[in-house]
Amino acid sequence: MGNGYNSPSRNMLLIKPTVRRAAFCILLFFMAPHHTFAATTWGAEIEQLAVKIASVTGPGAVSVDLENKSSLANNQRDEVRRQLLTQLASHGLRLVDQEQAAATIHITLSENLTSYLWIAAIHVGNNPAEIEMVALPRPDPTSPQRQTSTITLHKTLLWSQTTPMLDIAVLDGSPPHMIVLEPDRVALYRYQGSGWEQQDAMTISHAHPWPRDVRGRLVIRKDHLFDAYLPGVFCQSGNRTPVTLNCRESDDSWPLGNDLLNLNGFYASARNFFTGVLVPGIGKQSTVSSFYTAAGLPRANYILWLFAGTDSRVHMLDGITDQVMQAADWGDEVASIRTSCGSGWQVLASSRSSNSDSIRAYEFADRVASPITQPADFSGSVVSLWTAMDGVTAFAVSRDDRTEKYEAFRLSVSCIQ
Amino acid sequence: MGGTRPRYGGTLRVNMQAALLSVDPADTNSTDPVALDEISCLLFDTLVTLDGRGALVPGLASSWRSDSGYQRWSFSLRSNVRLSDGTVLTPQIVAASLRSVNPDWRVAPSDDGVTIEVSSPARRLPMQLALTRNSIVQRDNGRLLGTGAFAVSLWQPGKQLILKEREDYWRGRPFLDEIDVALSRNMRDQMMSLDLGKVDLIELAPGQSQRTTEKRTIVSSRPNQLICLVFQNNTPNEDERKLREALALSTDRRALANVILQGDATPAGSILPNWQSGYAFLFAPAYELRSARELRDEVHFVTPWTLGYDVTDPSARLLAERIALNAQDAGLRLQTSMSSTTDIRLERILISSPDGYIALLDVARQLGLIMPKVPGNSTENLYQAEKELLESRRMIPILHVPANHALAPSVHGWTSQWDGRAGLVDAWLGTGRP
Repeated sequence: MGNGYNSPSRNMLLIKPTVRRAAFCILLFFMAPHHTFAATTWGAEIEQLAVKIASVTGPGAVSVDLENKSSLANNQRDEVRRQLLTQLASHGLRLVDQEQAAATIHITLSENLTSYLWIAAIHVGNNPAEIEMVALPRPDPTSPQRQTSTITLHKTLLWSQTTPMLDIAVLDGSPPHMIVLEPDRVALYRYQGSGWEQQDAMTISHAHPWPRDVRGRLVIRKDHLFDAYLPGVFCQSGNRTPVTLNCRESDDSWPLGNDLLNLNGFYASARNFFTGVLVPGIGKQSTVSSFYTAAGLPRANYILWLFAGTDSRVHMLDGITDQVMQAADWGDEVASIRTSCGSGWQVLASSRSSNSDSIRAYEFADRVASPITQPADFSGSVVSLWTAMDGVTAFAVSRDDRTEKYEAFRLSVSCIQ
Repeated sequence: MGGTRPRYGGTLRVNMQAALLSVDPADTNSTDPVALDEISCLLFDTLVTLDGRGALVPGLASSWRSDSGYQRWSFSLRSNVRLSDGTVLTPQIVAASLRSVNPDWRVAPSDDGVTIEVSSPARRLPMQLALTRNSIVQRDNGRLLGTGAFAVSLWQPGKQLILKEREDYWRGRPFLDEIDVALSRNMRDQMMSLDLGKVDLIELAPGQSQRTTEKRTIVSSRPNQLICLVFQNNTPNEDERKLREALALSTDRRALANVILQGDATPAGSILPNWQSGYAFLFAPAYELRSARELRDEVHFVTPWTLGYDVTDPSARLLAERIALNAQDAGLRLQTSMSSTTDIRLERILISSPDGYIALLDVARQLGLIMPKVPGNSTENLYQAEKELLESRRMIPILHVPANHALAPSVHGWTSQWDGRAGLVDAWLGTGRP
């Protein structure tokens, strides 16, 4: 009675006669454009499946039908079919109509969590179907996007990896170097013509567990390579190669600004926010309510600091007053950059949207935020946004919810004036 | 996330239909494997865990290695991990926990972890250790201690469970202060509570996942549960095998999926769903009443069967009754029964691993079937093993169903697990304050 309760022989071979004429198939093979991806990527698996099929049928007249239940695109499906028919022909299988065939072969292009699965159900005479299959890995999906405006926020992908990234810094030299701060190490990369190559990696030692939403900041220094600030831990690199890293338990304040804007804040080491205690303070103000990020905007006689508070409000401190701005669509990530556009300093702020995050540049005249660029969209959540130490660019890290990869971007603003 | 960092604080209020009587991840008597799994992973950790794509990542074990034959495995434990009573997790506790759940393994503590020896090559042993049932639990006179992100602060079996955050959790304190789980809540009451803002997370009855409103977020997993019929008699004779096949052919799975479960199910002819195996369509279920009658007519004496089901699950009763009606149409003698000892049980089994072989092994274990030995690790070998299990005629796959939940808009940060379910360890409440 077949193969159990749900015998494959009862229902599985609902062959749709998509390939009617063998001559047409062969003609198709010679006329079809040669997409080489299948041949180069999957050639071995196609040949493997053909060998398995031929071992069941032997040489002779067969009919072949192919069904795509996978995420392969139609052109990929056609290419697999074309290659498979070629391989079958090379093993002595002659394509004919189903009525004339000694064996009927139903190919299904399927997939599971990790693999493509190509399955051949082979009927020879009245025997139950014989099943042959090959599995091959599925590639990771990727994502791109872009938009333009007279003032444009540029978002350039620097690096992508599966392990979390807390911050990134780039040293523009010859060759350029890139430093990636991860929860448990700092990796140093060197640009080698075609891309970044890891040069070194240094472990971050820490006695206490990181908070769940672990954050960190890299700061490029002049007398040594860099400092890394993490919750309750401070790490300082050496100043010669091979680069060393010394980490220690520390409650030291973190730099909130850059080389041009000096302000530090104390970080709550078991949480994901700054306590609100500021060093050296803003004028007479040395505290603000707890906050996630801060951005400084130089004015004629003072620096206006914006704080994305844990109370979901933006606090503006000018040294005397603490004014609250209701920024309904701002997220918790703010940073400022110096540009040649508008007033010369803009705020980059993340947005609160339902599915994925974006960052947009704002002018901040008269303490009112006005968007000046289109939002730069991210395919996931922005987990970090810091101004580079030179103040003219910012680095953002996002986590792509689809690919589960962390991506680091350099953000800059340009304008046509 | 929307550019918003997670907020600390608040109580997540959860409703569940299950009348859980134990939170032990190794409890074999639980009728709701999904509920038990969801609670267990908040309280306990495994040596090895899975990321959102189903890949292995270190858990309580920081590293592991095996000998060349995959029969002896060594796991190094992470240091400074503490149980919920503050005591340090030791290799002895880990070894005892694993031994109690896997009596066939030889588990011994070592200097920095545990070693596991198995009788035959087990290349997938780390994946097996990621199963919730292999969570590390210290069982002490009925008291369960774990290393998870939360600890039990109130436990009224079958009624209420309150979990409190652990400041010393080795992966960092969770954002939520508490999770308050009300058990034995029927689906209708759950929905009303969500609509009234009295609860933050509920289960959805069949069909409700398609009735979305802006007030809630629907999280539907992949079809990660198998509803199947399991026969108590292990050694069917030829007549019995024919009758079992007739029962399989008489079951109108499409009607069960579309009418009773209102489209929230997929007819199943296989144990593993197609998204996991990729070959499930080879076992496409058939509804052939005529063939069922012919098979039944080949048998002189039709044994009467009783069909048991989870009496706390209203949809299980409806499914059982419809299956019995279908069977009677084929001339079979099948009656539903609320007794705990019946000839056939309608079971709901969680597909517990992204690894097809481990998932199949675990289903076989849950159903009391013997996993066939296969020569290799290929998908073809897996297909052969599943085919043999089906041919044993000990069980009949009926449906694959997803787990559907609705969340209040204030719930953020939940993560999508490998099977699409919402993970709550990272959840936070938008209204919470740091």
